[in-house]
Parts: sequence; C-alpha cells; structure tokens
Amino acid sequence: MTRVLLRAAGVCFVLAIALMATAQPASLTVLSRDGRKPLPVIAVNNQEYVAVDDINTVFGTTAREDRLAGGLTITLRSRSIVLTADQNVVSVGGRLVSLPSPPVRRDGRWHVPLDFLPRALALVLDTRLDLRRAPRLLIVGDLRAPRVVARVDAGTTNVAVTFEVTPNTQAQVTAQPGRLVVQFEADVIDLALPSLPPQTFLLGLAPGDTANSVVLTTGPRYATHRVATTPADAGSGRVTIDLLPATTAETTAPTVTPPAAPPEARLVIPPPAPASGLRTVVIDPGHGGDELGTQGAKGTLEKEITLSVARRLRTLIESRLGAKVFLTRDDDRTLSLDERSAFANNHQADVFLSLHANSAVRPALKGAEVYFLTVERADAEARKRAGDNATTLPALGGGSREIDLILWETAQARYLEQSAALAGFVEQALAGRVEMSPRAIQQASLRVLVGANMPAALVEIGYLSNAEQEAQLATGAYQDQVAQALLDALIKFREFLEH
Amino acid sequence: MAIAGTAAAALAFAWAVIAGLSRVLNTPAGPDIDPPVVVAPPPLNPAIPRIKATLYFASEDGLHLVAAEREVPLADGAVAQARAIIEAQLSAEPPPPLAATIPAGATLRGVFISARHEAFVDLDPTIRTAHAGGSHQELMTVYTIVNALLTNLPNLQEVQILIGGQEADTLAGHVDLRRPLRQNQELILSPSSTTLPPSNP
Repeated sequence: MTRVLLRAAGVCFVLAIALMATAQPASLTVLSRDGRKPLPVIAVNNQEYVAVDDINTVFGTTAREDRLAGGLTITLRSRSIVLTADQNVVSVGGRLVSLPSPPVRRDGRWHVPLDFLPRALALVLDTRLDLRRAPRLLIVGDLRAPRVVARVDAGTTNVAVTFEVTPNTQAQVTAQPGRLVVQFEADVIDLALPSLPPQTFLLGLAPGDTANSVVLTTGPRYATHRVATTPADAGSGRVTIDLLPATTAETTAPTVTPPAAPPEARLVIPPPAPASGLRTVVIDPGHGGDELGTQGAKGTLEKEITLSVARRLRTLIESRLGAKVFLTRDDDRTLSLDERSAFANNHQADVFLSLHANSAVRPALKGAEVYFLTVERADAEARKRAGDNATTLPALGGGSREIDLILWETAQARYLEQSAALAGFVEQALAGRVEMSPRAIQQASLRVLVGANMPAALVEIGYLSNAEQEAQLATGAYQDQVAQALLDALIKFREFLEH
Repeated sequence: MAIAGTAAAALAFAWAVIAGLSRVLNTPAGPDIDPPVVVAPPPLNPAIPRIKATLYFASEDGLHLVAAEREVPLADGAVAQARAIIEAQLSAEPPPPLAATIPAGATLRGVFISARHEAFVDLDPTIRTAHAGGSHQELMTVYTIVNALLTNLPNLQEVQILIGGQEADTLAGHVDLRRPLRQNQELILSPSSTTLPPSNP
C-alpha cells in the first residue's frame, strides 16, 4: 500500500514539477560590451537559481563534477570556484564566500543562487557583476548602464515618445528610412518599454541593433520629428521625440514644402565636465522613507537631518567646486543600501559620501565620526599575506600611520587607500568646525560602502542620543558648519587626487 | 486556460497530500538524514555545572566594549555551549557602571556551527525594531555577539549573524552582516587601561 502511494506521489511530483516549470521566474538579461544574452532563472524552494551550464555558455567558464565528493569545480583560466551540494559556502581561489542558499543538483544539472554571480563568479571573471533584480539585469564590468524608461503619449495629431534617462546621458537621434534610431552615450542601456497605443504612425518601439540604442519604427504617415531635452531632478534627464504626421505639415504650411527632417539631431544634455580629478560627487543622505534611522529623545529623525545636510552640501559643492553633485535621494524615500552605491557607480562618481547621525547607549557620548571600509579576511592565507600589505595612511592630527590593507572581493577594496585619505581629510576638516567624538576616525565593515566603486566614506555628523547634539543637529547653523567642513575636505581631496 | 488552472490546482493538491502522507509514513523509519542544526535550549536545572564566560558590555562612556565574567551553564558540545553563551549575553544585567549593548527583549532563535568553524547566530527579527540605530551602536551590538562567542570558544574562527533564519544585509542599516565576522579588538577597552568591574555571579 505504501509503495503504491509513494509511486503515485512520485508521478504527481513529476507532473507538478512539469506544471511549475511553466511558472518559472523571468530570465536575467546579461548586459556586457558584447551585447545582451539571456540567462534562464528557475525557482528552487522560493529562491532564484541559475544553471551552471548556462553560466558556462554565457561566460565561457568550464565545470567539472566530482561525483564521489559531491562537488563541482567551475574554472576560468587559472581561477576556480569549488561548490559542494547543500553547502552555502563556496571556495573561490581558497577564499570562502557565503551564499544565501546552497547550490542544488537537480535533473543532472547544478544550479546556484543568483547571488553566486556577483559574489563568487565575479571573482573568477575578475570583473564587477552588478545584479539588478527588479529590471532582471546582470551588468558585466564597469559599464555605463543608465536606466531608460520610455513612455508613449498619442495626441490628436502627433505621437510623443519620452525617455526618462537616469543618470542623465547624452543621446543622439538619427533618421533612417522608415525608422528613427536613438543612441545613448552609454555602453548598454537598462531599457523599459511600454506597449504602444493603437492606430498611430509609430509602428514599433524596440531595442536597437546595438546595446545602447532604441529604434522607433515609423509608418508611412510620419513626416518629421522634433527633439526636446530637459534635465530632470536628481540627476536624471528627459528626451522627448515628437513625431509629426504629413497631414499636419500640409495643413500648417500648404504651399511650402516642409523642411526635411534633420538627418541627425545631436542632443547635449549634461554640461561639459570640468577637467579635474573630482568631477562628480554623489552624496547619500542616510536612511529615508520607512527607514527612519536613529531618533533623538525629542523626536528628531536622522533621515531628515541627513537630507537637509546633503542639500546644503550640494549647493556648496556646485557653487564652489564646480563639480556635478547627485543625491541618492532628494526626498523622503526608502532606498536599499545596494541601490545607494549602485547609484554612485552609475553616475561614475569620483567620491561617495554617505551622511548619517549616530546613537549610543550612553547619552553623554557626542561628537562627529568618520568611517571608511574595513574588509574581513576569510582565510589563513590572506591573513598571512596581510602582514606584507602594511600601508602608510594620513592619520588624525596630521602625519601618517601604518595600517594593514586587507583586500576582499569588493568594489571598494581597490579604493581603500584613497578612501582612507578621504576619511582623513573629512576628519581634519570636521575637527576645525564641530566637536569630534573620541573615536573620530574608524574603519568598519559598513554595508553601504562595500559596493562603491570609488573613494567612499561614511560621516556620522553627531549623536542624536545626546540631548545637546540633538538640538544642535536640527539647526541650520550646525548643518552649514558640517557642509562647509565636508566641502573643505573635498577640496583637499581634489588636491590629493591631482598630485 | 481555466481547465489547465484547475488541473494544476488539483495536481498541486494531490502532490501536497501525498507528499505529506509519505512523510508521515516515513517518520518511524529511522533517524533523519540531516541532523538538526538548531539545538533545544538547555534545561533550567540548578544542578547543571556552570562555567565562567566572558561577556561584553558598553563602557561607562558608551565608547568601548568592556569584558566582564559571568557564570553560564556548562553545555554538552560546542553548539549547545555557544547557545548558552549567547543567551547569557542577551539576558545579562550589566554590572554597574556598564551598560547593555543589546536591546532589551532580543531573543535567540538558534545557533549552528559549520565544518569550517564558523558559528551562525540566528536572532529573532524583533532585535531590528528594538535597535536604536547609529553606526556606533550597531557596531557595539554586533561585536558584542561576535566577540562573546570568539573569546569563549577559541575553536571558532568567525561568526555570522542571521536574522529570522535568513542571511541579513545589516541589523540597522550600517554593519555588513552578509559574511562571517572576526573578533574586533579595537572596540574592546583593554584591561590594562581600566579596572574590570567585579563579576556578578
């Protein structure tokens, strides 16, 4: 009886799996300089997985299974990753990398969770893999990959196609027979297309032949187009292409031949960047939206203080340093920590400053603090090596000191030295204007700094858990002092970069 | 479409029922394949021998971690001992003038230890809402747990904190919890520069 039941269960299980297969999550699109490739995704225990075979096809890696040991080795050139089924830790060239869920072997194929790609595979590829879950993208390398969201509005005679581009990126519109090609000055675009309104002379809107373009297919009634660009808020830009039909031109100017569409309209959205080592600054006002951050006894919210200081600093930098400044948020919204560093990476920022307010169990503790990233060593070999990596860094109060630089597979790791210098300048500048904590400069494993692909520091501008500082932090005068100090630090840091 | 949906639902139901049934049928057939990683809390028996363990609290100025010895139940095996230490750390009253670094009411869901001597400490998600935030306070909380385990159980190499059974990004928006952490000596006030408060058995 049991055997019959189990066999029935087996049949049902297979059928259920077959049915579930139809409801699998959407594929990832792998964006690289070579273009786009799909990477199929399956769901296992409510987690998203990709097959190692598919990884091999897309990235040119090879895999060798050791059935006896229940393991799999993925290799590219001389680098390799060793996986063990049901172990959520993998070894990458001897370093251990943890995964949110273990690799699984199913239907004779190995599958790994999505986080395997940026955490482990990126190390053997020796390039950055930026996993963007919502648009289902995996961006390979330090690509300029702006988000381009299209909208189509059909008017009574015209059709307007609007592209919201984040970050703001130059675009070029070229008229070709039967179509318009919009090419963005980027390596690839992270494109979202709407469905088209019916019965217009815009027949199609689709990704172009290159990874950075969009094609508008025009019908026979199309005559000409106008292009308008507007810089929008928070570093995004807008490109509107207004398609006009032949009839409009005839009614408005029946005796005059309508001017031929310009073969090429070049759009200049961002102003030319000044030649300097510090062209773009991204400021990250900590917390926001549902995430209040810390809170003072009188109700002062960290998320409001950080935004206010960020706006003051933006004004100062724009007027005094001539650099472009982008805020990761310019309103009260929830952002993940990855979104913040990804925003800085997408804007190709030269500096990333995350602003925060602090808290302690002892209300007497007060003063500002600056942090830069420390990275943990994962294996004995790296521990041993770290002893040889002592580096001299600017120390508080001038002079220099020796610290161990410990490299990990993060984007920030290669900027640790510059980040340490940046933190040193921030600490010195703040000390001239506001009270510092006894631990004014620290190294810590702070999540928001990990993925920043540029020099980065986190500034705790004071303790909201201290009554005196809660009152101070809410004043414009204190916030201006902090902003001025951060500007002074950035000026010093620019000199440091240029020499 | 509707037929396909109904068929899918029926199959899924049948599968769930039979899978459940087969599990029931399988239950008496010997031990589980994977040993459970989460241990039950040690019984509250006064006869259980106790050992001295080093726990951590915030210094009087709130700036550092200070070690203080406390008695915790002697447990059988590293996992049970790790659990006893973390439970003692979560519930310990700080010896004056020290202060607790972990918000009141924080509870432990489980502890397990990997073959690579990494300890995983799974905390109840309530610690998130109870935590005041701020980089400094978050560092103090995280490294209280990490240091308490690594100081008392020197066989362990690293500690990863999980929240609600899941790998967590951070506890309150600052400290990276996605990887196991090592002991942090910088936060600890060295015993030479202070007099340790007396242990409070």
